[in-house]
Amino acid sequence: MTPTIFVVDDDDAMRHSLEFLLKSLGQPVACFASAEAFLAAWNPDAPGCLVLDVRMPGMSGLDLQRELNERAATLSIVFISGHGDIPMVVRAMRAGAMDFLEKPFNDQVLLDHVTAGLRKSAKACEAARRAAALRARIDGLTARERAVMGLVALGKPNKVIAFELDISIKTVEVHRAHVMEKMGATSVADLTRMLVEAET
Amino acid sequence: MSRFVPFALALAVLIWPFALGAAEVRVGVLAYRGAERAAFEWQPTIRHLDRALPDHRFHAVPLDIPSLSKAVEDGRVDFVITNPGHYVELEAGHRATRLATFETVGGPKPSAAIGSAVLVRADRGDLDGLAALAGKRIAGVLPEAFGGFRLAWREMAARGLDPFRDSRLVFLGFPIEGIVEAVAKGEVDAGIVRACLLERMAEEGRVRIEEFRVLDPQPSGALGCRASTRLYPDWPFAKHAATPDGLAKRVGIALLSMPPTDGHAWTVPVDYQPVHDLFRELKIGPYEHLARRTFVEVLRDSWPWLVAAAAAVAWWLAHVVRVEHLVRRRTDELKAAHAAARRQRDEMEHGARLALLGEMASSIAHEINQPLAAIANYASGCQRRLSAGADPEGVAEGLRSIAGQAERAAGIVQRIRDFVRKRKPEPAAIDLNAVVRESLDLFRAVATRRGVAVEANLAEALPPVLADRIQVEQVLLNLLQNAVDAMAAAERRHLAVTTAATANRMVEVAVADTGPGLSPEARSRLFEPFFTTRPDGLGLGLSLSRSIAEAHGGRLRADDSPGGGARFAFTLPIVEERP
Repeated sequence: MTPTIFVVDDDDAMRHSLEFLLKSLGQPVACFASAEAFLAAWNPDAPGCLVLDVRMPGMSGLDLQRELNERAATLSIVFISGHGDIPMVVRAMRAGAMDFLEKPFNDQVLLDHVTAGLRKSAKACEAARRAAALRARIDGLTARERAVMGLVALGKPNKVIAFELDISIKTVEVHRAHVMEKMGATSVADLTRMLVEAET
Repeated sequence: MSRFVPFALALAVLIWPFALGAAEVRVGVLAYRGAERAAFEWQPTIRHLDRALPDHRFHAVPLDIPSLSKAVEDGRVDFVITNPGHYVELEAGHRATRLATFETVGGPKPSAAIGSAVLVRADRGDLDGLAALAGKRIAGVLPEAFGGFRLAWREMAARGLDPFRDSRLVFLGFPIEGIVEAVAKGEVDAGIVRACLLERMAEEGRVRIEEFRVLDPQPSGALGCRASTRLYPDWPFAKHAATPDGLAKRVGIALLSMPPTDGHAWTVPVDYQPVHDLFRELKIGPYEHLARRTFVEVLRDSWPWLVAAAAAVAWWLAHVVRVEHLVRRRTDELKAAHAAARRQRDEMEHGARLALLGEMASSIAHEINQPLAAIANYASGCQRRLSAGADPEGVAEGLRSIAGQAERAAGIVQRIRDFVRKRKPEPAAIDLNAVVRESLDLFRAVATRRGVAVEANLAEALPPVLADRIQVEQVLLNLLQNAVDAMAAAERRHLAVTTAATANRMVEVAVADTGPGLSPEARSRLFEPFFTTRPDGLGLGLSLSRSIAEAHGGRLRADDSPGGGARFAFTLPIVEERP
């Protein structure tokens, strides 16, 4: 899926000029005059980089960032602002912004951040997709298998697992084999990585 | 008596030869009833003088009053026999001197021998006195007749009646008997005749005396007739000023020694003061100057008053000049004070605009930054497209956009410069909606920054108002800034700008906020200078805004907004269309 550059700015000229500049990256650019309009059109599965104005009437850029974080969006955000104060910048960066640019900014810096943002978003999107797939595999396990998998991932030997679950070693071995097969893991280390990935 | 005339003439012809070579003496006689009658009446006197002074030849020259006066003036007569009134005039005007007074032997005293009777018909009971003659028809002989008018005039004047003004006078002339007949026939209400005429006519059987009544009869036993007036001296014999004293003396002696003829004689000259009194009272004859005084006479008689009046006028003039000078000076002072106040107000307005702009400065910087940032973006975009050698259309579009944004930035700068420039207000017909839109353009950055949503409800087809654009912008921005400040701590921040035409040919601009509204204290002191609720506020905004609105003939007032918060509205008058 091609990552998209989203521009959200209430100022027509600013929005249009950003679109004009960002189009030179050769990526699709979509513009919105408000955070609300963006949210309405947003596809959570699509990767992209959001070039976001901090101050807007109605929902502000920071509000939109919070909303997107709550919805576990994979979008990267580059903030642009006419006048950023330090607490605002800190808040934005803590919440995962790529950068906070003050107008007028160096075009190369913006383009670099956007490019990086797009890459990051694409990765995040991929990770999210994989995590979702792993979660689907985990969902396919039985409760007993999930319990065995949890203990295997912790690196516990079969007999300890059998003792803790109060089942026979033989039974543990069967469940373990089913888990490795259903999850497509080649080793315990592989399984552990999968579980970590699925957690994200 | 005319039957004696041939006889007299014959006598004169007989005497003529003896008198040849004698000196001519001309005696002017007043012929108030015709020349013949006068010559005849005075014949005895003339003859007596001829006899007494044989070396002189006396001639009676009968003349009417104007001719006789003229003759005296020209020195064509040596002596004059005339009525007392005319004599007084000649005495005053030509220094005639009386030598003797006519006397009726056995009759009234020569000093009180002439009077007038004002007759009415006996059946006119309504006419009970001279005072009752107001508005009535009164007949007299002539306006200058003595016994035939003037004596009665004096009595009427004494009773507050001006016959010329208050009654209808008719002058019937001679013969005087015509007046009696006019009264008898009822042609006039009253008639003025010489006293004793009525009695004489009754004796002659020409009238019945009981058909007449004499108004206001005076106690005048000596006269023997009824008179309505005081009595005056009889006719004088007077000498001309130029007549030699010697001749005058001899004539005087001759007159006094003349034996009574037909009961008439000459006696020592009496006092003519009563006649003078009459003339003075009526302001006629020698005393006409009393009624119509010359400027010099007035000047002479009343110079102290004139001096006082002149002094008063001079004082008044000086006062007027002084007041004028003071008024001019004070007007100039007032004008200067007004100009100073005006300047001060302009300064204050300018200061307030600067302060307002200061409050908006960071927002305005943002507003200018916006097009600059856009320009930078377009320029970078163009550069990249050029480096890549692709999308020439995109480059052209970018350059167009750069020009557009540069214009936008310049526009903002221009607006700010207009706003802070020191200037004189220039009222013109302006569209308030356009001013609102421009102000909101400038203000939008502030609103955005403060998280305030701005809503503009602009009435369509708003009539133009007469106002200074910058001042209106100042008022509006001030209200907007206040509204935004008021909503700093508010949950909901909504600002509505509304324009509307009102009933009384005004246009209203209202700014409503959703802040906490106005406290009673704030409401009462809102428009006071230096009253502010902001720690850094000058407190001039609203007081200046109000004075700007009022200077335009409008108003600025504060209300509660229906949605909570405050609502400030100012009105401006619509431009009156000239037909």
